Amino acid sequence: MYTLSPLFLYRVNLNIRYMLIHPFDYSRLAVELGYTLIVVFFCFMIYIKTREIYDLTKYKGIQYFRITFLFFGLAYLFRFAFVLFLLIRATFDFYSLSFAFKFVPLILSGYFSTMAILSLTYSTIWKKVHLKHTLLISNAIAILISGIAIISVYPISLILSQALLLIFAMSYLIYTQYSQSRKISPLFVLYVMFFLFWIVNLFALGPKRFIPFEIQIIFQILSVILIGIIYYKVYKWTK
Amino acid sequence: MDKIKRKRERLEVIYDILKIIRHHHNSIKPTPLLRYSNLSSQSFSEYLTELLDKGFVKEIDDEKGKRFLTLTDKGFTYLDKYKLILGFIEEFEL
Repeated sequence: MYTLSPLFLYRVNLNIRYMLIHPFDYSRLAVELGYTLIVVFFCFMIYIKTREIYDLTKYKGIQYFRITFLFFGLAYLFRFAFVLFLLIRATFDFYSLSFAFKFVPLILSGYFSTMAILSLTYSTIWKKVHLKHTLLISNAIAILISGIAIISVYPISLILSQALLLIFAMSYLIYTQYSQSRKISPLFVLYVMFFLFWIVNLFALGPKRFIPFEIQIIFQILSVILIGIIYYKVYKWTK
Repeated sequence: MDKIKRKRERLEVIYDILKIIRHHHNSIKPTPLLRYSNLSSQSFSEYLTELLDKGFVKEIDDEKGKRFLTLTDKGFTYLDKYKLILGFIEEFEL
Protein backbone atom coordinates (compact mmCIF):
# COMPACT_ATOMS: atom_id res chain seq x y z
CA MET A 1 0.00 0.00 0.00
CA TYR A 2 1.03 3.57 -0.71
CA THR A 3 0.52 4.64 2.92
CA LEU A 4 3.09 2.13 4.10
CA SER A 5 5.63 2.81 1.39
CA PRO A 6 9.11 3.81 2.58
CA LEU A 7 8.87 7.12 0.76
CA PHE A 8 5.63 8.01 2.52
CA LEU A 9 7.01 7.05 5.93
CA TYR A 10 10.10 9.09 5.21
CA ARG A 11 7.97 12.13 4.37
CA VAL A 12 5.88 11.70 7.54
CA ASN A 13 9.06 11.44 9.57
CA LEU A 14 10.37 14.62 7.98
CA ASN A 15 7.13 16.46 8.63
CA ILE A 16 7.07 15.45 12.31
CA ARG A 17 10.65 16.65 12.73
CA TYR A 18 9.77 19.90 10.92
CA MET A 19 6.76 20.42 13.19
CA LEU A 20 8.88 19.95 16.29
CA ILE A 21 11.33 22.55 15.06
CA HIS A 22 8.59 24.95 13.85
CA PRO A 23 5.68 24.79 16.32
CA PHE A 24 2.44 26.36 15.15
CA ASP A 25 2.38 30.08 15.94
CA TYR A 26 -1.00 30.34 17.69
CA SER A 27 -0.40 33.83 19.05
CA ARG A 28 0.22 35.22 15.57
CA LEU A 29 -2.82 33.39 14.22
CA ALA A 30 -4.99 34.82 17.01
CA VAL A 31 -3.73 38.36 16.39
CA GLU A 32 -4.21 38.10 12.62
CA LEU A 33 -7.66 36.55 12.96
CA GLY A 34 -8.85 39.17 15.45
CA TYR A 35 -7.42 42.00 13.38
CA THR A 36 -8.95 40.67 10.15
CA LEU A 37 -12.37 40.12 11.71
CA ILE A 38 -12.53 43.65 13.12
CA VAL A 39 -11.37 45.38 9.92
CA VAL A 40 -13.58 43.22 7.67
CA PHE A 41 -16.56 43.85 9.95
CA PHE A 42 -16.10 47.63 9.74
CA CYS A 43 -15.53 47.53 5.96
CA PHE A 44 -18.64 45.45 5.27
CA MET A 45 -20.71 47.53 7.69
CA ILE A 46 -19.71 50.69 5.82
CA TYR A 47 -20.80 49.01 2.57
CA ILE A 48 -24.13 47.89 4.06
CA LYS A 49 -24.84 51.15 5.89
CA THR A 50 -24.43 53.24 2.74
CA ARG A 51 -26.71 51.06 0.61
CA GLU A 52 -29.88 53.01 1.33
CA ILE A 53 -28.49 56.45 0.50
CA TYR A 54 -26.94 55.04 -2.66
CA ASP A 55 -30.19 53.35 -3.71
CA LEU A 56 -32.00 56.65 -3.18
CA THR A 57 -29.58 58.85 -5.09
CA LYS A 58 -27.49 56.64 -7.42
CA TYR A 59 -24.81 59.22 -6.70
CA LYS A 60 -21.50 58.29 -8.33
CA GLY A 61 -19.32 59.46 -5.43
CA ILE A 62 -21.26 57.31 -2.97
CA GLN A 63 -21.04 54.35 -5.35
CA TYR A 64 -17.24 54.54 -5.52
CA PHE A 65 -16.96 55.22 -1.80
CA ARG A 66 -18.96 52.15 -0.79
CA ILE A 67 -17.31 49.72 -3.22
CA THR A 68 -13.95 50.89 -1.84
CA PHE A 69 -14.82 49.29 1.48
CA LEU A 70 -16.29 46.19 -0.12
CA PHE A 71 -13.00 45.70 -1.98
CA PHE A 72 -10.98 46.42 1.13
CA GLY A 73 -12.95 43.91 3.17
CA LEU A 74 -12.29 41.25 0.54
CA ALA A 75 -8.61 42.24 0.32
CA TYR A 76 -8.24 41.79 4.09
CA LEU A 77 -9.98 38.40 3.95
CA PHE A 78 -7.60 37.11 1.27
CA ARG A 79 -4.64 38.63 3.10
CA PHE A 80 -5.65 36.55 6.11
CA ALA A 81 -5.92 33.43 3.92
CA PHE A 82 -2.34 34.07 2.78
CA VAL A 83 -1.09 34.58 6.34
CA LEU A 84 -2.84 31.37 7.35
CA PHE A 85 -1.05 29.57 4.55
CA LEU A 86 2.31 30.93 5.73
CA LEU A 87 1.64 29.75 9.28
CA ILE A 88 0.46 26.30 8.18
CA ARG A 89 3.34 25.86 5.77
CA ALA A 90 5.83 26.87 8.43
CA THR A 91 4.56 24.04 10.58
CA PHE A 92 3.31 21.32 8.26
CA ASP A 93 5.53 21.72 5.21
CA PHE A 94 2.80 21.35 2.57
CA TYR A 95 4.70 22.21 -0.56
CA SER A 96 2.37 20.44 -2.96
CA LEU A 97 -0.52 22.76 -2.04
CA SER A 98 1.57 25.87 -2.53
CA PHE A 99 -0.02 27.33 -5.62
CA ALA A 100 -3.68 27.15 -4.63
CA PHE A 101 -3.12 28.23 -1.06
CA LYS A 102 -0.40 30.76 -1.58
CA PHE A 103 -0.88 32.51 -4.88
CA VAL A 104 -4.65 32.61 -5.22
CA PRO A 105 -5.11 34.59 -1.95
CA LEU A 106 -2.12 36.78 -2.82
CA ILE A 107 -3.44 37.54 -6.30
CA LEU A 108 -6.95 38.28 -5.04
CA SER A 109 -5.67 40.38 -2.15
CA GLY A 110 -3.56 42.41 -4.59
CA TYR A 111 -6.46 42.80 -7.00
CA PHE A 112 -9.06 43.88 -4.43
CA SER A 113 -6.76 46.26 -2.54
CA THR A 114 -5.68 47.94 -5.79
CA MET A 115 -9.33 48.34 -6.77
CA ALA A 116 -10.00 49.82 -3.32
CA ILE A 117 -7.20 52.39 -3.64
CA LEU A 118 -8.40 53.40 -7.11
CA SER A 119 -12.08 53.54 -6.15
CA LEU A 120 -11.46 55.74 -3.12
CA THR A 121 -9.25 58.04 -5.16
CA TYR A 122 -11.87 58.30 -7.88
CA SER A 123 -14.70 58.89 -5.38
CA THR A 124 -13.09 62.17 -4.39
CA ILE A 125 -11.94 63.38 -7.83
CA TRP A 126 -14.76 62.28 -10.16
CA LYS A 127 -16.31 65.76 -9.97
CA LYS A 128 -13.10 67.44 -11.11
CA VAL A 129 -11.66 64.85 -13.45
CA HIS A 130 -13.90 63.33 -16.06
CA LEU A 131 -12.26 60.03 -16.86
CA LYS A 132 -13.85 57.62 -19.29
CA HIS A 133 -14.00 53.85 -18.78
CA THR A 134 -12.90 54.15 -15.16
CA LEU A 135 -14.01 50.63 -14.27
CA LEU A 136 -12.12 49.17 -17.21
CA ILE A 137 -8.95 51.15 -16.45
CA SER A 138 -9.12 50.30 -12.73
CA ASN A 139 -9.52 46.61 -13.52
CA ALA A 140 -6.60 46.72 -15.95
CA ILE A 141 -4.33 48.33 -13.33
CA ALA A 142 -5.49 45.90 -10.62
CA ILE A 143 -4.90 42.88 -12.88
CA LEU A 144 -1.48 44.25 -13.86
CA ILE A 145 -0.45 44.64 -10.21
CA SER A 146 -1.77 41.19 -9.33
CA GLY A 147 0.11 39.86 -12.36
CA ILE A 148 3.34 41.36 -11.05
CA ALA A 149 2.76 39.48 -7.78
CA ILE A 150 2.37 36.19 -9.68
CA ILE A 151 5.32 36.64 -12.01
CA SER A 152 7.74 37.72 -9.31
CA VAL A 153 6.45 35.06 -6.87
CA TYR A 154 7.23 37.19 -3.79
CA PRO A 155 4.78 39.54 -2.03
CA ILE A 156 7.46 42.25 -1.94
CA SER A 157 6.66 43.05 -5.60
CA LEU A 158 3.03 43.54 -4.67
CA ILE A 159 4.06 45.81 -1.79
CA LEU A 160 6.33 47.91 -4.01
CA SER A 161 3.85 48.23 -6.88
CA GLN A 162 1.03 49.18 -4.49
CA ALA A 163 3.29 51.67 -2.73
CA LEU A 164 4.06 53.25 -6.11
CA LEU A 165 0.36 53.35 -6.99
CA LEU A 166 -0.41 54.91 -3.62
CA ILE A 167 2.27 57.58 -4.06
CA PHE A 168 0.90 58.37 -7.52
CA ALA A 169 -2.75 58.43 -6.38
CA MET A 170 -2.03 60.54 -3.31
CA SER A 171 0.15 63.00 -5.25
CA TYR A 172 -2.67 63.42 -7.72
CA LEU A 173 -5.19 63.92 -4.90
CA ILE A 174 -2.95 66.50 -3.21
CA TYR A 175 -2.55 68.30 -6.51
CA THR A 176 -6.31 68.42 -7.28
CA GLN A 177 -7.30 69.26 -3.72
CA TYR A 178 -4.62 71.84 -3.02
CA SER A 179 -5.01 73.57 -6.37
CA GLN A 180 -8.70 74.16 -5.59
CA SER A 181 -8.90 74.91 -1.87
CA ARG A 182 -5.26 75.60 -0.88
CA LYS A 183 -5.59 73.19 2.04
CA ILE A 184 -5.46 69.49 2.77
CA SER A 185 -8.54 68.13 4.54
CA PRO A 186 -8.26 65.90 7.65
CA LEU A 187 -10.24 63.24 5.78
CA PHE A 188 -7.53 63.06 3.15
CA VAL A 189 -4.91 62.50 5.88
CA LEU A 190 -7.12 59.73 7.31
CA TYR A 191 -7.32 57.97 3.94
CA VAL A 192 -3.57 58.24 3.33
CA MET A 193 -2.78 56.81 6.76
CA PHE A 194 -5.23 53.95 6.30
CA PHE A 195 -3.66 52.99 2.97
CA LEU A 196 -0.14 53.38 4.38
CA PHE A 197 -0.98 51.00 7.21
CA TRP A 198 -2.39 48.55 4.69
CA ILE A 199 0.95 48.55 2.89
CA VAL A 200 2.84 48.21 6.18
CA ASN A 201 0.61 45.23 7.00
CA LEU A 202 1.53 43.67 3.68
CA PHE A 203 5.07 43.36 5.00
CA ALA A 204 3.75 40.58 7.21
CA LEU A 205 3.36 38.54 4.01
CA GLY A 206 7.06 38.64 3.18
CA PRO A 207 9.24 35.51 3.22
CA LYS A 208 11.07 36.92 6.23
CA ARG A 209 9.87 39.39 8.81
CA PHE A 210 10.60 42.89 7.55
CA ILE A 211 9.31 44.41 10.76
CA PRO A 212 9.09 42.83 14.23
CA PHE A 213 5.79 41.27 15.23
CA GLU A 214 5.30 43.77 18.11
CA ILE A 215 5.69 46.76 15.78
CA GLN A 216 3.27 45.17 13.34
CA ILE A 217 0.67 44.86 16.12
CA ILE A 218 0.98 48.59 16.78
CA PHE A 219 0.27 49.32 13.11
CA GLN A 220 -2.66 46.92 13.21
CA ILE A 221 -4.13 48.68 16.25
CA LEU A 222 -3.72 52.02 14.48
CA SER A 223 -5.45 50.59 11.36
CA VAL A 224 -8.36 49.42 13.51
CA ILE A 225 -8.64 52.89 15.08
CA LEU A 226 -8.64 54.53 11.64
CA ILE A 227 -11.28 52.24 10.13
CA GLY A 228 -13.27 52.70 13.35
CA ILE A 229 -13.18 56.49 12.87
CA ILE A 230 -14.30 56.14 9.23
CA TYR A 231 -17.10 53.78 10.28
CA TYR A 232 -18.21 56.18 13.03
CA LYS A 233 -18.37 59.03 10.50
CA VAL A 234 -20.50 56.85 8.20
CA TYR A 235 -22.70 55.69 11.06
CA LYS A 236 -23.34 59.30 12.13
CA TRP A 237 -25.05 60.04 8.79
CA THR A 238 -26.71 56.72 8.15
CA LYS A 239 -28.06 55.59 11.55
CA MET B 1 -20.76 74.54 -15.07
CA ASP B 2 -18.84 71.60 -13.63
CA LYS B 3 -20.25 68.19 -12.95
CA ILE B 4 -20.52 68.52 -9.16
CA LYS B 5 -22.64 71.60 -9.56
CA ARG B 6 -24.97 69.79 -11.93
CA LYS B 7 -25.08 66.71 -9.71
CA ARG B 8 -25.79 68.70 -6.57
CA GLU B 9 -28.50 70.52 -8.40
CA ARG B 10 -29.89 67.24 -9.59
CA LEU B 11 -30.29 65.92 -6.06
CA GLU B 12 -31.71 69.28 -5.06
CA VAL B 13 -34.16 69.42 -7.98
CA ILE B 14 -35.46 65.97 -7.07
CA TYR B 15 -35.85 67.15 -3.49
CA ASP B 16 -37.72 70.27 -4.61
CA ILE B 17 -40.13 68.34 -6.86
CA LEU B 18 -40.90 65.83 -4.11
CA LYS B 19 -41.35 68.64 -1.59
CA ILE B 20 -43.85 70.39 -3.85
CA ILE B 21 -45.91 67.20 -4.14
CA ARG B 22 -45.88 66.71 -0.37
CA HIS B 23 -46.77 70.35 0.18
CA HIS B 24 -49.89 69.86 -1.97
CA HIS B 25 -51.28 67.14 0.29
CA ASN B 26 -49.39 64.51 -1.65
CA SER B 27 -51.48 64.93 -4.78
CA ILE B 28 -50.80 67.33 -7.63
CA LYS B 29 -51.42 67.44 -11.37
CA PRO B 30 -48.34 67.45 -13.66
CA THR B 31 -49.01 70.95 -15.08
CA PRO B 32 -48.97 72.87 -11.77
CA LEU B 33 -46.04 70.75 -10.66
CA LEU B 34 -44.14 71.86 -13.76
CA ARG B 35 -44.96 75.48 -12.95
CA TYR B 36 -43.88 75.27 -9.29
CA SER B 37 -40.72 73.37 -10.06
CA ASN B 38 -39.23 76.19 -12.18
CA LEU B 39 -37.90 73.83 -14.81
CA SER B 40 -38.17 73.82 -18.56
CA SER B 41 -40.79 71.42 -19.84
CA GLN B 42 -38.08 69.21 -21.31
CA SER B 43 -36.09 69.05 -18.05
CA PHE B 44 -39.28 68.51 -16.09
CA SER B 45 -40.27 65.66 -18.37
CA GLU B 46 -36.84 64.02 -17.87
CA TYR B 47 -36.98 64.39 -14.10
CA LEU B 48 -40.55 63.12 -13.95
CA THR B 49 -39.67 60.06 -16.01
CA GLU B 50 -36.71 59.41 -13.70
CA LEU B 51 -38.82 59.83 -10.57
CA LEU B 52 -41.46 57.46 -11.93
CA ASP B 53 -38.85 54.91 -13.03
CA LYS B 54 -37.08 54.99 -9.66
CA GLY B 55 -40.38 54.70 -7.82
CA PHE B 56 -40.26 58.02 -5.98
CA VAL B 57 -43.65 59.06 -7.34
CA LYS B 58 -46.57 57.26 -8.91
CA GLU B 59 -49.42 58.31 -11.15
CA ILE B 60 -53.00 57.90 -10.03
CA ASP B 61 -56.21 58.68 -11.89
CA ASP B 62 -59.24 60.09 -10.11
CA GLU B 63 -62.83 59.09 -10.91
CA LYS B 64 -62.98 61.75 -13.66
CA GLY B 65 -59.91 60.25 -15.29
CA LYS B 66 -57.60 63.14 -14.37
CA ARG B 67 -53.98 62.23 -13.74
CA PHE B 68 -52.37 63.10 -10.40
CA LEU B 69 -48.89 62.56 -9.06
CA THR B 70 -48.36 61.25 -5.57
CA LEU B 71 -45.33 60.32 -3.47
CA THR B 72 -44.49 56.71 -2.74
CA ASP B 73 -42.86 55.51 0.49
CA LYS B 74 -39.51 55.78 -1.28
CA GLY B 75 -40.29 59.41 -2.13
CA PHE B 76 -41.05 60.19 1.50
CA THR B 77 -37.85 58.42 2.55
CA TYR B 78 -35.85 60.59 0.14
CA LEU B 79 -37.36 63.74 1.65
CA ASP B 80 -36.60 62.54 5.16
CA LYS B 81 -33.03 61.54 4.33
CA TYR B 82 -32.12 64.43 2.03
CA LYS B 83 -30.27 66.46 4.67
CA LEU B 84 -28.40 63.36 5.79
CA ILE B 85 -27.44 62.53 2.20
CA LEU B 86 -26.05 66.03 1.66
CA GLY B 87 -24.23 65.84 4.99
CA PHE B 88 -22.71 62.51 4.06
CA ILE B 89 -21.54 63.77 0.65
CA GLU B 90 -19.93 66.82 2.26
CA GLU B 91 -18.39 64.85 5.13
CA PHE B 92 -16.61 62.48 2.75
CA GLU B 93 -16.03 65.06 0.02
CA LEU B 94 -17.70 62.84 -2.55
